[in-house]
Amino acid sequence: MTQLDVSAPDPAAGAATQAARPHHRDVLAQRRADRTARVEPRGRRQHTARERAHLLVDEGTFVEISPLRTAGPSSGSGVVIGWGLVGGRPVVVASHDAAVASGAIGAVFAETVQRAQRIAIDRGHPIVYINDSGGARIHDGIHALHGCGGIFANNVEASRKIPQISLILGPCAGAAAYSPALTDWTIMVKEQGQMFLTGPEIVRAATGEDATADEIGGSGMHTRTSGVAHLEVDDEQAALDAARGILSFLPSRVGGAQVLVEPVPARPEAVARLPHVVPDKSSIVFDMHEVLDGVLDDRPRLELSPAHAPSVLTVLAHLDGRPVGIVANQPRARGGILDAKASVKASRFVDFCARYGLPVLTFVDVPGFLPGTVEEGRGVITQGATMLRAYVEAQSPVLTVVVRKAYGGAYIAMGSRSLGADFTWAWSGSEIAVMGPGGAVALLHRRALKDAEDPDTLRDELAAEYRENVARPYLAAEAGILDDVIVPEETRERMVQALGVLAPRAEGSRA
Amino acid sequence: MSAATTATATADIVSNVWKLVTEVGAQVREGDILAVLESMKMELPVHAPATGTVAEVLVAEGQIVQEGDALVVIATQDEAPAAV
Repeated sequence: MTQLDVSAPDPAAGAATQAARPHHRDVLAQRRADRTARVEPRGRRQHTARERAHLLVDEGTFVEISPLRTAGPSSGSGVVIGWGLVGGRPVVVASHDAAVASGAIGAVFAETVQRAQRIAIDRGHPIVYINDSGGARIHDGIHALHGCGGIFANNVEASRKIPQISLILGPCAGAAAYSPALTDWTIMVKEQGQMFLTGPEIVRAATGEDATADEIGGSGMHTRTSGVAHLEVDDEQAALDAARGILSFLPSRVGGAQVLVEPVPARPEAVARLPHVVPDKSSIVFDMHEVLDGVLDDRPRLELSPAHAPSVLTVLAHLDGRPVGIVANQPRARGGILDAKASVKASRFVDFCARYGLPVLTFVDVPGFLPGTVEEGRGVITQGATMLRAYVEAQSPVLTVVVRKAYGGAYIAMGSRSLGADFTWAWSGSEIAVMGPGGAVALLHRRALKDAEDPDTLRDELAAEYRENVARPYLAAEAGILDDVIVPEETRERMVQALGVLAPRAEGSRA
Repeated sequence: MSAATTATATADIVSNVWKLVTEVGAQVREGDILAVLESMKMELPVHAPATGTVAEVLVAEGQIVQEGDALVVIATQDEAPAAV
């Protein structure tokens, strides 16, 4: 990292100016050197807090704020703040310095983070928090807690205005763990980042549970089971790159201009394969990513929470050069069902896309909400309802296509017309009904099935009849609940056309 | 001599064990289908989490399993139990 050279210019140039007194410059140079001296990162860490900030932003663009700020005679504030450019746009950074009291959040630390937050919020720029902190600084007592609370309050205010991304590059314990939970997306480095309320020792003392730090709060726990974090990456650079990747899809602030890119068609092989992706038999699984390949621009997509509640996909992508958010059932994972966790994952994503003006494209193949004691115990009714609320409240364009089946309450939840979708379509082979053929026939023909000599054959016949006469999408299209019945290869064009009227590109925009 | 390392295939959803397509002693490769679960009228294949030999089959066809239940244990090839 380059230090600005502050040594004295030629004193002969002006004997009466301050430049004639090199002592001032020496003092400054010394102070800067003291505060920014490199301390070799400990443990699995690959970079210092300052290096991380520099590596996050476009090369050579990081500008540090208040580098001389300190909490004590020789300590620094414990956090490096500043700004730089990401993809040419300003982004504010707050990077915890584990070399200063293990990154403990004291009063000065908290004030410093809040200063970064204020600049980001007031000037409308995204903020990236690089977390590496053992928690509140106990020496600062209640002032540390007050500072943490102030950071949280700013997190909440920011969440309505600017993108916030949290990277977990070390411990993020106790009070510190709540800040990422108030931000949009959290990225953890495997075997390095940890988030928990308390570590193994206190857990053991409090409840007797014996667990390792990784079991309590490692990236596996949080990107698979809890859903607290959304991406798991292998090293620090990958975490920084992932943050840049997410930001590349987003405007700088709520209401900001969309980041349009050159439109590119879907990959030709995927387009050719599109009519053959969905198995005819509705019980056979397939990979919804293949459908997305055949519809979306052939550009890298960014899937969020890929390992948590995997029966629903949440993906950032491009359609015709516009950033879009994809919500899709993934039949290959748990049949593509909705459950409590999948509902929370999807609703959070819809809220996020809608807040930043990204169209929400919903691809439906859902067997229903998973019933039973486990799901009811998890509050699937309340969690499922969050999906309904998210779609109803979404102000950005919502486009929905049923690619195979949509039954019951899950049909409604997956971006249906009734929840305010702008345009809805179904593929010609799909099924939309209040319930699946098997269940419907059992209810509608209970008596006939009971009296039949061969109930299995009769049930199959009735189910086939129901599938063709009741569940095909034409009833919904005739009722205006679907805008059209289409074939798979028409999907992209319909969606592009719809965005053309729902969110026309600004005149003169570059793509 | 290292202890045998195992990998366990689990049910990822409450379901009925519809078909078992492996047996103790079978050689399997990571990704091979071990069983097919039936839930929500979907046929949900269970894939081998690792390459190795099927050491235990813990369920029977027709059995109801809960999310997280162990189904099949595989002794991984690299560190298979030594012959006695």
